[in-house]
Amino acid sequence: MTTRFSFPLKKAMVLLGSSLLLLTACNSNSKKGSTASTDSKDTSGNTVKIGVLHSLSGTMAISEVSLKDAVQMAVDEINASGGVLGKKIEPVIVDPASDWDLFAEKSKELLIDKKVSAVFGCWTSVSRKSVLPVFEQNNGLLFYPVQYEGEESSKNIIYSGAVPNQQLIPAADYLMSAEGGGYKRFYLLGTDYVFPRTANKILKAYLLSKGIPKENIIEEYTPFHHQDYQTIVSKIKKFAVVGKACVLSTINGDSNIPFYKEFANQGLTATTCPIMAFSVAEDELRAMDTEFLVGHLAAWNYYQSIDVPENKKFVANFKAYCAKHNLPGGSKRVTDDPICWAYTDVYLWAKAAEKAKSFDVAKVVEALHGLTFDSPAGPVKMDDKINHLEKTAMIGEIKPDGQFNVIWKSKGLIIPQPFFKLDDAKK
Amino acid sequence: MRNRKKIGLCLILCCAVFFSAHAATDSTRVYIGQVLHPQQEEMRSHAIQRLVALKQASSFPFLEAINNSALYVLGEKAITTGNRKSEEESFPVYELYPIHRILLNAEGKPLLLNASGLKQVEISRADRLQLIPVANWLNIFNADDQKRAMAYGQLQITADTSLLNILSGALKTETNPNVLRAGKEAYYTMLLNNTTDIKKARSLMDLLSANDGDNAIGVLTAYAKQKELPQPLRLYAQQKASSLDSHYVFLQRMQNLFSGLSLGSILILISLGLAIVYGLAGIINMAHGEFLMIGAYATYSVELLFNNVLHIQNTDWFYLAALPVSFIVAGAAGLLLERLVIRRLYTKPLESLLATWGVSLILIQLARTLFGDLTAVKLPGILSGGWQVSPHLVLPYSRLFVIVLTIVAVSVIYWVLFRTRLGMQIRAVTQNRNMSACLGIDTRRVDAITFFIGSGLAGLAGCAMTLIGNVVPDMGQTYIVDSFLVVVTGGVGKLVGTIVAGLGIGVFSKVLEAFFEAVYGKVLILLGIMIFMQFKSKGLFPDKGRSAED
Amino acid sequence: MQIKSPQLVNLLFILFFAAALPVGNMLGIVSINTISLWGRYFCFAIAALGIDLIWGFTGIMSMCQAFFFCLGGYCIGMHLLLTATAIQGQKLPDFMVWNNITSLPTFWEPFHGFVPTLLLCVVIPALIALIIGFFIFRSRIKGVYMAIITQALALGMYLLFLRNETKLGGTNGLTNFKTVLGYDLNASSVKLGLYLVSLAMLCLAYAGCRKIVESKFGKILQAIRDSESRVGYTSYRVLNYKLTVFVVAALLGGLAGMLYVPQTGIITPGRMSVTASVEMLMWVALGGRGKLKGAIIGTLLVNCLYSVCTSLFPEGWLFILGLLYVLTVLYFQKGFLGLFETMGNKIGTTLKRKPAGLNPTS
Repeated sequence: MTTRFSFPLKKAMVLLGSSLLLLTACNSNSKKGSTASTDSKDTSGNTVKIGVLHSLSGTMAISEVSLKDAVQMAVDEINASGGVLGKKIEPVIVDPASDWDLFAEKSKELLIDKKVSAVFGCWTSVSRKSVLPVFEQNNGLLFYPVQYEGEESSKNIIYSGAVPNQQLIPAADYLMSAEGGGYKRFYLLGTDYVFPRTANKILKAYLLSKGIPKENIIEEYTPFHHQDYQTIVSKIKKFAVVGKACVLSTINGDSNIPFYKEFANQGLTATTCPIMAFSVAEDELRAMDTEFLVGHLAAWNYYQSIDVPENKKFVANFKAYCAKHNLPGGSKRVTDDPICWAYTDVYLWAKAAEKAKSFDVAKVVEALHGLTFDSPAGPVKMDDKINHLEKTAMIGEIKPDGQFNVIWKSKGLIIPQPFFKLDDAKK
Repeated sequence: MRNRKKIGLCLILCCAVFFSAHAATDSTRVYIGQVLHPQQEEMRSHAIQRLVALKQASSFPFLEAINNSALYVLGEKAITTGNRKSEEESFPVYELYPIHRILLNAEGKPLLLNASGLKQVEISRADRLQLIPVANWLNIFNADDQKRAMAYGQLQITADTSLLNILSGALKTETNPNVLRAGKEAYYTMLLNNTTDIKKARSLMDLLSANDGDNAIGVLTAYAKQKELPQPLRLYAQQKASSLDSHYVFLQRMQNLFSGLSLGSILILISLGLAIVYGLAGIINMAHGEFLMIGAYATYSVELLFNNVLHIQNTDWFYLAALPVSFIVAGAAGLLLERLVIRRLYTKPLESLLATWGVSLILIQLARTLFGDLTAVKLPGILSGGWQVSPHLVLPYSRLFVIVLTIVAVSVIYWVLFRTRLGMQIRAVTQNRNMSACLGIDTRRVDAITFFIGSGLAGLAGCAMTLIGNVVPDMGQTYIVDSFLVVVTGGVGKLVGTIVAGLGIGVFSKVLEAFFEAVYGKVLILLGIMIFMQFKSKGLFPDKGRSAED
Repeated sequence: MQIKSPQLVNLLFILFFAAALPVGNMLGIVSINTISLWGRYFCFAIAALGIDLIWGFTGIMSMCQAFFFCLGGYCIGMHLLLTATAIQGQKLPDFMVWNNITSLPTFWEPFHGFVPTLLLCVVIPALIALIIGFFIFRSRIKGVYMAIITQALALGMYLLFLRNETKLGGTNGLTNFKTVLGYDLNASSVKLGLYLVSLAMLCLAYAGCRKIVESKFGKILQAIRDSESRVGYTSYRVLNYKLTVFVVAALLGGLAGMLYVPQTGIITPGRMSVTASVEMLMWVALGGRGKLKGAIIGTLLVNCLYSVCTSLFPEGWLFILGLLYVLTVLYFQKGFLGLFETMGNKIGTTLKRKPAGLNPTS
């Protein structure tokens, strides 16, 4: 069969030529066609579509599946109370499979083919960076629920996670204050990727500006999934001997367990040298032996233990939701900061749409600015100009049951500064 | 509000004046009472402050309980909880004052209480931070050896000579050698830093270095850096420090070697099954890593079974039960795979690679659907901690267990292969499938059994892996490329090769990791293997004879 | 499906993609997203052609094709990023600023120009393949050893690219491209253009591969696949042939990567993970190994399925794909193409008992 047929090279060249001709012919027309098709959002009928873009398989599934559950729960709640603008919300769930290219592809599909009114998704910075151009070109709206490194502000992305000045800076301030222990030596330890690198860069600059001498700040990175912390902890131990030392940790995921274990094994405690973690939340603690972690600190904008009625309802509903839908973990599931914001995002969007009386992206974004909402984390407010959320920073202390005890709260909402400058902080 | 504050302050003042005449122990008692039942928050703060200032040895356990946020009241007694072994378990309780002792029940056994039955005294973080000046060495009277050792370690950096008496008193009653070492180090250090006599200083330095404590080098170098130190003393301290240092470097190398051994034994355990199956059937099993995952989840399920169905809480037996269970479950899964898929693909390594890749996708997603993404098995109590060969060389029991398990598994496999009839059949089929069939060996049966054993070994490896890391659906993928490398480097289908290569790769990676960062260590290993294959393209122990060619 | 004349099928295929889809887009039936999706599939298909050459025709299982694909991708990505930074009036790409790099690394310099970049996109993968291939084939590593060694190589490179020290963006890779040759990458017309260029390149690559396969050179490749030692005995330099085909495959990979990145808008190390390379093999296996058309059909079909299933069955798509892989290897050893053929030739013989598949190791 293979020998019977020979592909004529000439013909291929002709085809190439003709296709190039076609290309030029298409240019003028396709523009019209596409602008007409991409800008519209499909809101005809009794439903309004939203996209859910969280990895359900691959390496990031471990974190992102919970966010998908939270979004779905919020959608169910809103639908049960009548929907948005009289329409039921119809979530379009896709699986970008922790594949960054697929994130871009899926977001195109959601925006152009499915014509969703808003998308809720992404966790890692790389996935957000991958979809950002797509949302900007097609005038989509992405709600991003995870704390991130800043240095970005797009009109098409609503950032509900914390930016550095809502998480890192308050934590550093707290540790330096008399109330927090007046620490003077800082060990910045993180996993080697963009968030820890940027976070530590900001923290270092901030600490230096506060008069901490250079030799009292150490920066160190480990690869993803690093398991052997023996050498690093012995370095920390040496560092901490002089006293007034603490660790600022941006260690990610499964590396935390061996790190905290080794920390305890080598005899360091939360009183002598506390670890302030920026990436350890209740959901991560679920699988850990909390024995080693009690007394260490974390900085977030939400904890499951927050004592407000909205949160109690939210936590109870989430547990009930997981149990009812037979999700792994069932009623033992916990809520944490990203889960809270993923859930809040849906309500913010619904509220803004009601206020704007439209699902049009520009109108919704305009309505979002200045919007207030009683989230599980307490009242929050969208900034008047940029698409970031104003919220309260909180420091939590790990309790033996894997929950946090909130020991410090910022006074009022902190205005987000995605492009953090030291000069602004000094004011 | 302000009035109440004033009253509170007055009260405290009254108390202070009133009790100043009494013995310090009495004031300790009063302050403890105030901490437990304060009229005001301020009173509690002040009481803690006073307790810290008094430095009464008898109050240390009480302060330590505050420090650990583990202060409870039982009746009128202030108590704290001892070590508990799992979430639901009830724990032993200790009375804190006036005597630090374990509480016994009516039968004279340790009294066990549930977490719910205890009333916690909550002390704010701000109050706890008052303990910072003393927090470091509060534990020198603690019942727990480790905590005591830590307390001594912290004591040597506090230059407060008033503590020397407490310290020497505590050392007299100390029995645990590790703790004694830490205590002596602290004691010698404090003496050394406060002596001016050259002879005495020398002997103290000798004692310090002979004591072999954790911080001896640091103490000696710090001592040598002092400005007004006589030259001979400085030289002596430096010499002592450097000789200790070279000793520790040696121990550090031993530790690296051990890490390498433990990594190597894990690799061997995983690769063994892979090697047997490849040798026999010419199958590259990409789903082999997933049998590891199945073994780990089997262990997790056994733990759940013990906790939730059989209601046997807090036992190490579950792990013992999980060992055979994980072997059998993974083996059975392997058998199923062999029946359904593999038996059509014998002697087609590359096709089998693709088919089993598909299987591994399915298995990973299956695990994710069944168990979710975030699970871990609790480390059995008996395997936590480590064997202290010397103060600076600790070999964790869990890693030792993995090494022993590997040795046992390898021995059993060798015995099966070279001492039993089945083993002879397996070897025969490996050498020449057709000829064996002609001689009346049921090759299908041999295939099935071999596959069972191979997958079971992976399951066993999975069970061992739960001691070291998490249980996640794609845990098999982390090790699969490495174990392929082991098989290939060793010479495909050769057990000796697998063992030698596994150990070699394990040790080399850990040694390289010590010099470079982990990632570069790994890249170097891969490069090294490629260079090695330049000279031995069929691995360490290649097949010989005609059958080896094409 | 009755295959009367393969030529007709080819023509139909090209007509459909070169004419029907763009026209559909103009009429508003086919969205531009679908168009650029297919454009990306074509890039994959080019890379798959390379795999088919080396695996299907020469019997060498190379598991690092995705690495060569990424090399091409990174090369063009660097160029696109440099132009994007120039447009924004910055001196350095954003990620370098965050990583405290003060001046452009030297190895980025050649990528300022468009033509040098295009050349480098294919030259770099080819050169690296030449070096690696020389050492691997010289020491007569083959079969399983070859597969595992190339897999290890892919893993090593993947780990290296994840590091920030390589100055290629670490985990985040390169993204935020704006224009190519001054044209806005986001405009539909440019997307359509890229799609057509990819299609044309695929046709060219196919034609080229066919020429190779049908030449004397190609015959020797197949002889090597069937019995390497005999080819060696008949005084052919097996090493040279293997090396050449390895380099050609890498070249195709680089070309594919070069076309892929402008259409996707991002290149990260994730594209070159071990999984990515195995997936590329699966495309070829599913389509029909040892047939050039099979590689193309397999790639298009699997990627289509991947896109569709991750949307339709977000929680169960891995089951579908995994099952498909297993069933194909078990029952349709000639892949989809073989399936079509047997259906065309009436279901005469069952493939179950005696698979007449191509067996590189026998």
